[in-house]
Amino acid sequence: MSQQILVAVIVVLAAAFSVWKLMPARRRLQLLLALDAWSASRPRLAGWRQRWLKPRIVRAAGSGCDGCAANDTHPQHRPR
Amino acid sequence: MDTAVESSPLRVALVGVPNCGKTALFNRLTGSHQKVANYPGVTVERREGERATADGRGLRVLDLPGTYSLHPTTLDEAITRDVLLGRLAGAQPPELVVCVVDAVHLPIGLRLALEVKRLGLPMVLALNRMDVARRRGVTIDVLKLAGELGVPVIPTVAVRRGGADALIEILQPERWPARTVTAPASHENTAEDAEQMQADLRGLLAVAGYNPPRSNPWIARIDALLLHPFAGLLILLAVLFVMFQAVFSWAAAPMDWIDSGMAALSGYTLEHLPPGPVASLLADGVIAGAGSVLVFLPQIVILFFFILVLEDSGYLPRAAYLLDRLMGSVGLSGRAFIPLLSSHACAIPGIMATRTIPNWRDRLTTIMVAPLMTCSARLPVYGLLIAALIPRSAVGPFNLQGLVLFTLYAAGIVSALLVAFVMKQFAGARQYSPLMLELPDFQWPHAGNLLLGLWERVKIFVSRVGGIILALMIVLWFLSSYPLPPPDATGPAIQYSLAGKLGALLEHVFAPIGFNWQISIALVPGLAAREVAVGALGTVYAMSASGDDVATQLEPVIASTWSLATGCALLAWYVFAPQCLSTLAVVKRETNSWRYPLIMAGYLFALAYIAAFVTFRVVSAWT
Repeated sequence: MSQQILVAVIVVLAAAFSVWKLMPARRRLQLLLALDAWSASRPRLAGWRQRWLKPRIVRAAGSGCDGCAANDTHPQHRPR
Repeated sequence: MDTAVESSPLRVALVGVPNCGKTALFNRLTGSHQKVANYPGVTVERREGERATADGRGLRVLDLPGTYSLHPTTLDEAITRDVLLGRLAGAQPPELVVCVVDAVHLPIGLRLALEVKRLGLPMVLALNRMDVARRRGVTIDVLKLAGELGVPVIPTVAVRRGGADALIEILQPERWPARTVTAPASHENTAEDAEQMQADLRGLLAVAGYNPPRSNPWIARIDALLLHPFAGLLILLAVLFVMFQAVFSWAAAPMDWIDSGMAALSGYTLEHLPPGPVASLLADGVIAGAGSVLVFLPQIVILFFFILVLEDSGYLPRAAYLLDRLMGSVGLSGRAFIPLLSSHACAIPGIMATRTIPNWRDRLTTIMVAPLMTCSARLPVYGLLIAALIPRSAVGPFNLQGLVLFTLYAAGIVSALLVAFVMKQFAGARQYSPLMLELPDFQWPHAGNLLLGLWERVKIFVSRVGGIILALMIVLWFLSSYPLPPPDATGPAIQYSLAGKLGALLEHVFAPIGFNWQISIALVPGLAAREVAVGALGTVYAMSASGDDVATQLEPVIASTWSLATGCALLAWYVFAPQCLSTLAVVKRETNSWRYPLIMAGYLFALAYIAAFVTFRVVSAWT
């Protein structure tokens, strides 16, 4: 039974990830922006928002192909 | 538009003519790994990166498409003008412009610098490729040029570590105090303006003591050979031929290692995990599915090694020049070469690169045929089927498998030319727009660029296998496993599953072209991306096996169960099939209409079905 629960969780996560990756870039950007607006009023999520959410918004805003190296940004290059 | 500047990062825009090294400089400034190549038109949209600075303010660097003037003729050039003039929605005008000028060809870049300076924005001139300029005898008095131009002039070598240190030093935000930036006004380009600009340019070159580069007689001889209408084409064909031979010959050993590793991993999983859904998911879904795609990594690396060498050496624009007449005769613009070439990596950047084509009809034709170029996602499909169905024998000095791969790539190119020709007939005769291309200097491929480019391709491929392909294989495993077969079931469990039932339905559609139900199932997740079909076949065959006979290696299973006609029909299908939703989405975005992606999907599916049908019938009759 525990095996079946584990497999069910993995399958659901995989399905959600597939839908996320295959949805149109504009819809994905809209969802990320909505998530950003929602998390903006929650100070506890500030770190996650900066580290995780912002780079994804930048990538999603770049072009329709966020799997490309062309959208690989390195926002904090070391200062000299 | 007035913009108050506080303590936000200093906005720096990199501007310059195509192929002067802006993106290499951008990578040097921001630590990014944007694509760099030795031909014009690589950057077609604005890219942004940041650099932290000691004072905490930081730099926000914009890499803009190359342009010869601020009076654009193409979409990508218009982006550059609009950013500088603050016309681009949501983008503030830059506070500082770094005008990148190729020191070897100073007059061309300096003319644009004069235009940018007239906008009144603060400016720094980066004299790039100074190492090559010195080697070729170019002399420039940097101090005098800076004095006459009235802006700092900084020599740089963007491709060398430390080659932009002086520029980084001068870009420190404390040197450019925050101030209110007013978007500059555009001005009409009158004949008097152009004459004045030319006179200013001549004056600047005289003051700077500019001495043009020495011409190298060897380069002239090599160019005469490579650009010869007949010998040049033969050389191009030979280069491509060697490339595809190498893809099969050199990759065989590392592919066998990965294949054995996957088989061992699958065996280990089944041996050490208790029987049940977790062991089945790992062995049949994850390892048999995603693992069967990972096997093709060596072929991808070898293919891109050749492409990157050709890009960096400066050979590709010469190939564009050679093929210009041929492309023109079928109704393609000469400028279509670079987008079509980029489509061999992936159709998405290729379609975006069509922004360099000024004429809408020419651009649309190029967009419509771009998916016919063999993208790297097709390579795992071709590699699997060729390895399974074509013997590893030699035809004279050539590897037969390499020959077949070369033929498939050629089929993609020829079909693109034919489709463009047909589209030309529908669109009616129109004026041919000739290719105007500045041939870059030949150079030895830069080892750093090469390794970086290969590393990027490996990352993209592995992250796709570990990302979307893995996720889809897990979903497919679920659909192939449930509902469970009834207790009195006689066939393999997959036949009673959702995927099995879907495959049985689709088989009616695909039976005339020789596809069995396993292939029919694999085509569905393969809609997400072409290489997913290989993983799907791996999972479906692993699930179809019964008892200890678990198919961990796909190639021998295909070799023993498929007819040659079925394999050839599937190859023909993949030459045409538009099985990539992302490509269709990008076509919709670039054409701003659903009409064209729907037409594209329709004509490509029709071509794929007809080609597979004819191939299946002909090979069946022949064998």
